[in-house]
Amino acid sequence: MLRYTIQRVLTFIPMLIAISLLSFVISINAPGDPVERLAKSAESEGSAQEQSGASKKIKAELRKKLGLDLPIFYLSIADLSTSDTLYKIQDKYHKATLEHLTHKSGNWQLVSDYYNELLNLQSIHLKLNSKEIHSSQDELDLNTINEAVNQVGFEINSLLETSDDTLINLALNKLDNKINNYSFFNPLLASFGNIKSINNNLFTSSSKWKTYVPKINWYGSKNQYHLWLFGNGKDRKGLLRGDFGISYIDSQPISTKIWQKIGISFSLSLISIFIAYLISIPIGIYSAYKKDSAVDKGFSLILFILYSMPSFFVGTLLLLQFANPDNLAWFPVSGIQDPTVFDPNWSFWAKIKHRMPFLILPIITYTYGSFAFLSRIMRVGMIDIVSQDYIRTARAKGLAEGKVILKHALRNSLLPVITVFAAIFPMAIGGSIIIEVIFSIPGMGVEVYNSILNYDYPMIITVFTLSGFLTMVGYLVADLLYAVVDPRISYK
Amino acid sequence: MSNQNLENFSFKKYAWNQFKKDKIALICLYLLFLLIGIAVLAPVIANERPLYAEYKGYTLYPAFSSESRTDSIFKENGSLDEVLQYDITDWRTLDFKKVVWPLIPYSPEGMDRYNRDYVSPSGKQRFKNKDGEITEAPKKFRHLLGTDGIGRDLASGLIHGTRISLMVGLVSMGIASLIGIILGALAGFFGDNKLKMPRIKYHFTLIGLFFGFFYGFGQRKYAISDGFSEGVVSGMVELLISTGIIILSVTIFRLISRLIKINKLQEETYVPIDTFVSRGIELLNSIPRLLLIITITAVVERSIWIVMIIIGITGWTGIARFTRAELLRIRSLEFVQAAQSLGFSSARTIFKHALPNALAPVFVSIAFGIASAILIESGLSFLGIGVPDDIVTWGSLLNLGRQNLEAWWLIIYPGMAIFLTITIYNMIAEASRDALDPRLKS
Repeated sequence: MLRYTIQRVLTFIPMLIAISLLSFVISINAPGDPVERLAKSAESEGSAQEQSGASKKIKAELRKKLGLDLPIFYLSIADLSTSDTLYKIQDKYHKATLEHLTHKSGNWQLVSDYYNELLNLQSIHLKLNSKEIHSSQDELDLNTINEAVNQVGFEINSLLETSDDTLINLALNKLDNKINNYSFFNPLLASFGNIKSINNNLFTSSSKWKTYVPKINWYGSKNQYHLWLFGNGKDRKGLLRGDFGISYIDSQPISTKIWQKIGISFSLSLISIFIAYLISIPIGIYSAYKKDSAVDKGFSLILFILYSMPSFFVGTLLLLQFANPDNLAWFPVSGIQDPTVFDPNWSFWAKIKHRMPFLILPIITYTYGSFAFLSRIMRVGMIDIVSQDYIRTARAKGLAEGKVILKHALRNSLLPVITVFAAIFPMAIGGSIIIEVIFSIPGMGVEVYNSILNYDYPMIITVFTLSGFLTMVGYLVADLLYAVVDPRISYK
Repeated sequence: MSNQNLENFSFKKYAWNQFKKDKIALICLYLLFLLIGIAVLAPVIANERPLYAEYKGYTLYPAFSSESRTDSIFKENGSLDEVLQYDITDWRTLDFKKVVWPLIPYSPEGMDRYNRDYVSPSGKQRFKNKDGEITEAPKKFRHLLGTDGIGRDLASGLIHGTRISLMVGLVSMGIASLIGIILGALAGFFGDNKLKMPRIKYHFTLIGLFFGFFYGFGQRKYAISDGFSEGVVSGMVELLISTGIIILSVTIFRLISRLIKINKLQEETYVPIDTFVSRGIELLNSIPRLLLIITITAVVERSIWIVMIIIGITGWTGIARFTRAELLRIRSLEFVQAAQSLGFSSARTIFKHALPNALAPVFVSIAFGIASAILIESGLSFLGIGVPDDIVTWGSLLNLGRQNLEAWWLIIYPGMAIFLTITIYNMIAEASRDALDPRLKS
């Protein structure tokens, strides 16, 4: 048994690697730039409007803290033309542009020259000051100058994020127009000339073949995945040591947020599974005992219909009927407590008493989902058992029917029901998103839902990884429970 | 059973006869055909454009034309009278000489601005007639099941939602069955120690796969994403080309491997294909499916097609497990061994002889799968995740009802539609399981 357990735990390792890789790949491909978002929330807290220099510094620090300045994985598969230092480009969109441009031209040297020259042009452009230009050139209106400068800036930015050749040419033509029109753009001329000449060669270069030759780059352990999983020994501890990163919404550690929310989801799923067992086992026994009677057939049909009823429909119906002033306003519509009445210093029982009306509808909806399923399993399992020889023996030796069913048959028919037990763990961490959203219960489900709506990927990924892990644990626990309950099952 | 019957005995007939005995399931089957009919005919049943109209001397079939069509109406003296732009014309206010309206004269996305703010089925409904007066809606133009907050007709939404829910079931389970049956059949038929090939061929196949993925997906990722931004069809074409490249690359490398004749590398080795597939199933099963789907849909673009594809890609494990188990059993039966000893190729043995005999339990699993795919899709739309906001689905209608509990019609009707469809599929699945394999009957 111990050996079996150890063996099973060992098989967790490749599975967990696979799950973590999967979630990591998803988080890498997530749209948007986390640094921009975190920097934005940091800026909004600041008092004055910072100039771009300071915010650039914040962004660089954040990038370093999140490990985004590292290559993604231990190795990467690219083609011969792509540079293995592309990951050092900070801006996510610039990086994508460069990658696409390299793919099109096959000449990394030219692309990188083009990019550097564009950055150079941008920095020269940033130094232009419309007011100074205005004071030196009186004949021009300040608004005209401002507009021209802004337009040039816009075109440069769009060039940095465009890899489509017609769009590039369009932007270059516009820039050409503007820069040649106004004499105050003279400082840009040299750099812009370079860009034009590079761009002419960009798509006619003869090294397109390089894009067809695969190349494997090796980066070693200094990469994002390694950092995410093992940490760096300093500020990041890594997933394996319980550091799930920080939320993009409020920069709070993910683990703190989860600990705050997990209690309510866990207790809800525990209570509802308990109630589901309490109802479904007697129903299952009864209809198996009276197999093919009218009652059994009725139960079967009703259970089958209930089984097909989506829980979000049931939840909404319950709200419509019992928490609606038009019908019956027996229960509150949402939340788990009334903030105007609730006092955190109440005793445990007072809290329960206060929360009871809030929780009844959610618990019914929660329970309902597993109850129909459980009853059906229970019935089938019981029918299987009742036709066994030892039950016939028990009857033949004159045992009372109640004893035969409740003592001899019941224990053995409980086996399949254990399977459901495996589902409790992951349900606690993921919460039942739909039910919690319907009833606005502040548990893990709503947390996940909100993080999806707000693109808070660290949260999503953590829940994803943890629930994968807990599902495996759940399966293991269920399998071990089988062995405990049924001596015929032994793992050797 | 008489002798005559025995001679003509076929399993299909037997299963069908068994299925017919279950009256409820038979009714469900007819209801399913009805649903399919509604889905196919949805644009004709519910459309804001008339089916047939005679207007100012012109005969038009607006409901059967494309939405972007424009008709110029000329006066008798030849001068231009008005231009009918099919998508923005308010057809209900036109003065037709003769007109045949669809059963429900509203489109699912069409906003009726005179009946905004959750007009109930029995409530007062307003209508703008051809003279431009606002009156009580005539019987023909009443919103039979009410409207939502921006005046969209619920009945029309439900009818067009049938289309989406059936498509979700069909497309996602189509993908899932394709993956599941192929992988399950390979794993079950070959197991871990039946598929033998020379070591050199094995390794070259892997190299071919690498190059196939490199040229098929690595090099073509821009072509694929451009294809998908143009539309689903061209994206699918690009994907097919990529798949072709992978197959081509593997074939080329396998051919090359024949040229290399080194004794040591010619030794036969086993391909543990069953282990690969079983681990894959285990991995996918150890991730809560809804959470996986939600996580992926959160990352990718919002599109109903992507939702279907994701549901399909995550839903093949059950089918693969059934196929694998059946093929494990079938591969040792006489007729498969006969096919093998006749020298048929493995592919022919699997797909022509073994697989057709294994599909009965797989079919049941697919039917249950369709029900759960529809459930997942409507759950996602209910949460407003994955499916774009402008697409009207049963789940998104129910979500509108949840946000406004006074609009009971937005809860009851879409909810019943989802519930009935799922029940129908589940009933059919269960009845066909009993019919196909009486041992499993519960």
